[in-house]
Amino acid sequence: MAQSMSDTNRKLPILWIVLGAAASVFIVLVLWGKITWFSDQAPVEFLPNMDHQFKAIPQSGSKFFSDGRTQRDPMEGTVARGSTVYPLGMGDVDKAESFNVNPHLEKTEFLMSRGQNRFNVFCSPCHGYDAKSNSKVVERGPWPGIPDLTREQTAALSNARIFHIVSAGQNLMPSYADKISPTDRWAIIYYLRTLQGVEGTDSNAPTVAASNSSTTGSAQ
Amino acid sequence: MFSRRFDMGVKVGGAVAGTVALCVFLIGYFGVRNDVADVGYRPQQPVPFSHKVHAGYTQISCQYCHAGVEVSGHSPVPSVQTCMNCHTVVRNESPKLKLVRDNYEKGTPIEWVRIHKVPDYAHFNHSRHIRAQIDCKSCHGPVEEMGVVSQYKSLSMGWCLDCHRNPEQRIVGARPISGIFTGMKIDQKNMMDSTFLYKPLRAAQIAAVQPVVVPSYGFGQSPVPAQQVHGIPQPKQAGVGPENCSSCHY
Repeated sequence: MAQSMSDTNRKLPILWIVLGAAASVFIVLVLWGKITWFSDQAPVEFLPNMDHQFKAIPQSGSKFFSDGRTQRDPMEGTVARGSTVYPLGMGDVDKAESFNVNPHLEKTEFLMSRGQNRFNVFCSPCHGYDAKSNSKVVERGPWPGIPDLTREQTAALSNARIFHIVSAGQNLMPSYADKISPTDRWAIIYYLRTLQGVEGTDSNAPTVAASNSSTTGSAQ
Repeated sequence: MFSRRFDMGVKVGGAVAGTVALCVFLIGYFGVRNDVADVGYRPQQPVPFSHKVHAGYTQISCQYCHAGVEVSGHSPVPSVQTCMNCHTVVRNESPKLKLVRDNYEKGTPIEWVRIHKVPDYAHFNHSRHIRAQIDCKSCHGPVEEMGVVSQYKSLSMGWCLDCHRNPEQRIVGARPISGIFTGMKIDQKNMMDSTFLYKPLRAAQIAAVQPVVVPSYGFGQSPVPAQQVHGIPQPKQAGVGPENCSSCHY
């Protein structure tokens, strides 16, 4: 009887020592920052000195305004300094041919790489890196006919018309005027022309544009 | 003098009290550090948005949604309109997107939970870092692999200074997936093949990709062939960051 007691007494501490050692190694690694402890609870702040000030921070909530938003809607009709508003709507195809004047920026490698960069960011999700619309988004989603930008009909579109499509949108494509600045839009067009392998015209006669719109409009 | 039972009680009690005291000390001393307390903060977002799907699988660049980060100090959280660019067609019946559709109809913003936050007395400027071609991954980690985004770096002042003093050991060079403008054209064919280094590549793939995707304009290299074009944010050369107080505390 006494012997068995001493046996259990001898076994238990070893188990506890091993468990304790493992636990302390874990605690040390967590406190050292080697193991990340994931939590959906906000971090505890012991001394939140001036971390949270009563001021307007972009895109954060506000206790001052009744709708809870820091960002205020601008007065109707105001335009922020330095920003441009594209005035034409999706349907103003004829106006676009004369309205969008190619600034003829110098096609340096810098500008072309900018065009590539912006194309890859904003256009490639749907149109693909090579503009042939073989992107992952098209593979995955049920998109009704995103056009291959290197096909003849699209290559025949004028620069002004493509600028209009980027700025105002077409069919399912929304306007990208708020995301891409006008200079970047022209850079994208110059770069797209290199993918298409055509020189491109600055503007076509409105009748040509109308016939193009009927072919490209077949997607919807 | 004392009974054997009392003696044992003192020993066990002392061990327990000592362990508890040690734990309290360790947690109190280290647990308040940003790299322990803040890293791993992974809040539940109102919409179950997965960066793993959007940035990882479909390879949408960071800047498609966070557009304007290269011209703004604040990295914008996309508006509901940006979601609806695609989700008018893709998964337009999904119950997960109900909140997005409701907000889109009402014209109200989604109340995303903010994860990364520096104290209000410190000013971090995203555009300055993006223009110096420091990749998003340097501070935010491999977001394209995160189903639910968590804080990846401590964002403490010591961490900032650490990188400002020795950037070459810590910053990740510009990857195309981040949409960082470097002023260099990228081989289009190679880009499609390598799918942007967003996942770990095998050694052979890295060898094939590196000359194109990790060009030589990184830290300490010659500046990018930048050119002043009105309307294009100019890339800046990466280098040792400023260390004076008024750079961030103004």
